[in-house]
Amino acid sequence: MSLIRLENVSKIYKTGKVDFPALKEISFSIDKGEFLSIAGPSGSGKTTILNIIGCLDKPSDGTLFLNDTDISSKNSNELANIRRYNIGFIFQTFNLIPILTAFENVEFPLILKGNMKQKDRKLLVEEILTEVGLKDFMFRKPSEMSGGQQQRVAIARALIKQPKMILADEPTANLDSKNGKEILQLMLQMNKRTNTTFIFSTHDRMVMDFALRIITLKDGQIHRDDKRR
Amino acid sequence: MFTLLKLAFRNVFRAKRRTIITFSSVSVGLGLLIISICLMNGIDKQSISNIIHSQTSHLKLFKTGYFDKKDEIPLNKTIQNPEQYYAKIKEHPKVKEVESRILFGASLIKRMDELPCLGVACEPESDPKILNIKDSLIAGTWIDSNKPGMVIGADMAKDIDLKVGDNVTIRIITSSKGEDITWNALDMEIVGLFNSGNPAVDSNRIIVPLILAQEALSMGNEVTEIVVCLTNDNEDTLEQAKTWLGTVFNNTDEKIEVYSWKDLASTFLAISKTKTKSSAMLIMIMLFIASIGIINTMLMAVLERTREIGMLMALGMKKWEIMKLFVFEGGLIGVFGSLLGCLLGGLAGWYLEVKGWSISAFGETYEKIAQAAYPVKDIFYGDLSFNILLSTFIFGVVISVIASLYPARKATKLNPIEALKYI
Repeated sequence: MSLIRLENVSKIYKTGKVDFPALKEISFSIDKGEFLSIAGPSGSGKTTILNIIGCLDKPSDGTLFLNDTDISSKNSNELANIRRYNIGFIFQTFNLIPILTAFENVEFPLILKGNMKQKDRKLLVEEILTEVGLKDFMFRKPSEMSGGQQQRVAIARALIKQPKMILADEPTANLDSKNGKEILQLMLQMNKRTNTTFIFSTHDRMVMDFALRIITLKDGQIHRDDKRR
Repeated sequence: MFTLLKLAFRNVFRAKRRTIITFSSVSVGLGLLIISICLMNGIDKQSISNIIHSQTSHLKLFKTGYFDKKDEIPLNKTIQNPEQYYAKIKEHPKVKEVESRILFGASLIKRMDELPCLGVACEPESDPKILNIKDSLIAGTWIDSNKPGMVIGADMAKDIDLKVGDNVTIRIITSSKGEDITWNALDMEIVGLFNSGNPAVDSNRIIVPLILAQEALSMGNEVTEIVVCLTNDNEDTLEQAKTWLGTVFNNTDEKIEVYSWKDLASTFLAISKTKTKSSAMLIMIMLFIASIGIINTMLMAVLERTREIGMLMALGMKKWEIMKLFVFEGGLIGVFGSLLGCLLGGLAGWYLEVKGWSISAFGETYEKIAQAAYPVKDIFYGDLSFNILLSTFIFGVVISVIASLYPARKATKLNPIEALKYI
């Protein structure tokens, strides 16, 4: 059973009187534990696919399955619930809440998820922040951390709720190559340890080199789907 | 819930300068609201106290038909031998004192000057237990039944330059059984000047002993009114005593009606009510402006935090939770703004209650205008209560929450993808 399955998914953006097809009848599936990169040039549809898989957007046509359940026609509240429990996000611009400390940013998804005592939450947050190398930065606010450190917080925030998958839209685009590599290594390490599916979009060759599977898009269609050993 | 509140709290203080400006607009609006209510209540309280304690007392008994003609100050609708009713009236446990009076139209003449005024003939021994005129004497002595003499209001004395010891002529309309009106003139010494604090009384009232007036007006043992003073100013006591007296005098041969100070001061009460309404409208406009400030602040916050809202949606926050976050922020602005407003308004209200607001400081014209509207002079005192502060606080919070609904709704309408892309 695949974790994600897209069947003939199309997405058309309407800009005034002109229809712009971002995705054209795309079909593929992703298994649990994959470390997958969606590659392609700008405008090829990478972000659109991530948005649809991440339940932030709905396909114009076609079907999206999560654990073999059709989620293409869910309403916004149901999609929010899917995101809350099953999906973690890592953004290119980190998108941490600036008024919260690293600890509070990581704790936030757990609070949203609910059903966990504060004491248990604290242990879990401390553990994961230590794991991403931020033990000494827990009580700093994003503005007091470097880009690499902020992205580590974002990874910890995405991982803490033990989601089925983590989606990362160009996660290293705002980092220098050294920090970018470290972040990718950390993601790969987490993927191996927790068996969480990582799906990230990129057009950076260095990033693609880390991926175990690369789906390359071109003009809204799958151009190549390469699996590595 | 607590997390959202914590988040809202920190968000409120994110843009400190803007928040302080918004707080200020809310707190100044509410502070002014408290000052206005406090002052209006205080002036009303002071006016009512002046009406009761220097002008009408609590209840008045008139011969049937007198009340409708009271502005003409008639002397042909009188109560005969009023003392016969005193014992019965005093049977009511809340009646403190009773006296009989005659009101008559008069003019005070000093050489070429003539000043129209209202003559009040009262019982010199009982009147001080009912009204505060004797207590407010600022010169001379109180009237005496055995000695011809009168006390007059200090303002009137000032108007025609009179002082204690001066002899003046009073021209009075004498009693007439029928339509014929005759005049009489009396020469009398001014024995005292009073300053009751009620401009209506101090500027046109002369007070003489009842016996003297009955003689001058050829009224025998007749009076135009019986004045009843109660043990307190409580409205329930007033209504209860009025009803009881009404029942009592319904069963007497003489047709007598009972009126409360409210019936006698109905014009003041109507003006006061209208003023309260127009002040409320002004205050609402002020608060509307303050709420525009909140809406503006919140809309700015939504705009500035668009990407953050998108991120919160991506984390799985539902639309109603986003809405709650912004409503909490509006509510917190309301709580802090209202607290500050209540503090400022409370301090100003306390000052007005203790020290008062000197209307004479604004000049004679302003003082005259104020006196025309209220039976109060010199100083307006405020009347602050915990209820005013509490209701203003709640009002401020509710207004702020309502003002935050539109920006909050706008935040929930954001598309998460568009929001995440927002720069």
